[in-house]
Amino acid sequence: MSFSGNFFAGVDVGSLAAKSVILKDGEIFATGLLKSGVNSVESGLSALNLALDAAGLKKEDITYIVGTGYGRVSAPYANKAVTEITCHAKGANYLHPTVRTIIDMGGQDCKAIRIDEDGAVVDFAMNDKCAAGTGRFLEVMADVFKVKLEDLGAIALSATDTVPMSSTCTVFAESETISLVARGEKPENILNGIHHSIANRIAGLFSRVGIASDVFFSGGVAKNTGMKSAIEQALKVTIVRPEIDPQLIGALGAAVIARSFAKKEGLWA
Amino acid sequence: MGLKTLDKIAAALQRRPFELEQLRKEGKRVVGWLAYNIPEEIIYALGLIPIRVGQGGDGRLVEVGARHISTKNCVFVRHALGQFAEKTDPYIKQLDLVAIDATCIQLYRLEELISFYFGYKTVVLGVPRNFATKEGHEYFRKEVECFTSKLEAFAGVTLEKSKLEEAISIYDGIRAAIKTLYRYQSLDNAPLRWRDVSSVISAGYNLDRQNYLELLQELIAEVEENLTESPAGGEIEARIFLSGSLIPPGDTKLVDIIEQLGGRIVGDDLWSGLNFFLNLEIKEPTPYGVADAYLDRVPHGSLPYLDLKSDGRLANLKHQIQEFGADGIIYHTLRYCDAFTFKAGETKDVLGKLPFLEIHTEYSGSDFEAIRTRVEAFIEMIKSKKEIAELV
Ligand code: SF4
Repeated sequence: MSFSGNFFAGVDVGSLAAKSVILKDGEIFATGLLKSGVNSVESGLSALNLALDAAGLKKEDITYIVGTGYGRVSAPYANKAVTEITCHAKGANYLHPTVRTIIDMGGQDCKAIRIDEDGAVVDFAMNDKCAAGTGRFLEVMADVFKVKLEDLGAIALSATDTVPMSSTCTVFAESETISLVARGEKPENILNGIHHSIANRIAGLFSRVGIASDVFFSGGVAKNTGMKSAIEQALKVTIVRPEIDPQLIGALGAAVIARSFAKKEGLWA
Repeated sequence: MGLKTLDKIAAALQRRPFELEQLRKEGKRVVGWLAYNIPEEIIYALGLIPIRVGQGGDGRLVEVGARHISTKNCVFVRHALGQFAEKTDPYIKQLDLVAIDATCIQLYRLEELISFYFGYKTVVLGVPRNFATKEGHEYFRKEVECFTSKLEAFAGVTLEKSKLEEAISIYDGIRAAIKTLYRYQSLDNAPLRWRDVSSVISAGYNLDRQNYLELLQELIAEVEENLTESPAGGEIEARIFLSGSLIPPGDTKLVDIIEQLGGRIVGDDLWSGLNFFLNLEIKEPTPYGVADAYLDRVPHGSLPYLDLKSDGRLANLKHQIQEFGADGIIYHTLRYCDAFTFKAGETKDVLGKLPFLEIHTEYSGSDFEAIRTRVEAFIEMIKSKKEIAELV
């Protein structure tokens, strides 16, 4: 069986997870997702191997690989490196061509990206100065309440009230949360407050780039239903849900770009 | 790019600290000045040696400065304070007087501190907030007059009209030469780039002005001799324009990142760059004439100007972007440089659809990767836009 020339892969190594997507005939063929370790090269390769195994392919079968995420800087397995901003834009556009705004919340940063009808970036803003609004922040909060990270959003949605949270700095928010618990506030109401305070901070990112429909939510935090709802309220928009794991959007975009590069470089017709 | 005159400038710069030592032994006095509106012509005309002070890029010096000033002061001022505190810089340690203009209030604070804590002899030049009004001009005339008499007392001579005329002619020559070099660096067929011109400007902080002018003219002649045929249809380039807070000598982080990622800087409206040399026409060789000309320059960002439509800073920015054929603008803001940080939003709005990226940074390496990602995405954005435009 010859697969030659038909497979393109994207590998996205972030601070918390490494992801990969393989495209075949322009369709998503296989994916890989795992926690990233300290060695970004190994993490990227493991994510790629996961998708290759799922697809029954070898690395040599892939015509072109694009690396993205912070691990893109050292990704010897990739033909090219492209920033996650460009990749998220292409990934969102691949799934929903009507998307014009992307909120990407990953492990260590948060981005507001505006794109055009071709999925090209027209503007972006990024917060990576502190952990507020990132996966890391929510991990710390899940730890404080001794609940699973994936349950955090649902718990927040069950709130009957919103306890305002004044700190968005992880360190201060952690101690503020502990004192709110000690004061007798209900965990779900505190969590609701935390989600809203992050959402308001994210709204600030959009003051520079603006918002246009459709709005798309990508990155690991996009799995959090409480965050989705809080952002919808803060930005007064309805968010389009991706039909695949939102954590894979960057890798998907990288695979889409890999296909374009292969074509441009004459490796694929 | 192998231009001989650039090597000559570098060699002159190496000799300069020793040269200054000798000149001081012969009784000459050195006046260090910073940062935006000190009329150097007057210092020079009085037989004093002007040295432009104010570097950046060294996080350690920022920490040294921060021992004497709140960390809420801009990183450029903290860095300068660190240099004045240490007194090890080959130029700082030779200053007999420091002249500081109060264009930005943070500089005023710097003056207070270096005279109070470290005993530097200083002189301050007041700058009006309302520089566009008649009253503003009157005030600045008086300030320049007073500045001149303080310098006269320091130098022990009176300002002579002929000497001022001579100085103005040298400085006019320098300004014209820098503008010419800027034009050349933006072309594809010239053997020098923005970075070269920037290092030439840095050299001009310290070199003897007459000697500097000669070197600039030699450089222009060499550039003109080495112009090549315009290369046809090369690779798609991201032509970047730099704006915002100054990027003084020594602060190479952002420039390095842009160039490492394949971006090409083609112009700027920085006060450490081209703006300093623009729109300065001294019509009358007197302190009043000098004052009027300095006040009519492109306004500095720290001077409030609320009517965006007639703001000369924005008009100049738009003009330069067009002149240099820039594809996008990187607006650089230094931490706690409120003057330029607060103007980022309005600048972006005024420029409309032109790709705009704000980089907020300071003199430490901790944000290197974060800046890298932004700049890389920005360059990707510009290049893909141009790629699509070429296809259509
Ligand atoms: S304009 Fe900005 S960088 Fe310059 S002295 Fe003022 S605050 Fe500092």
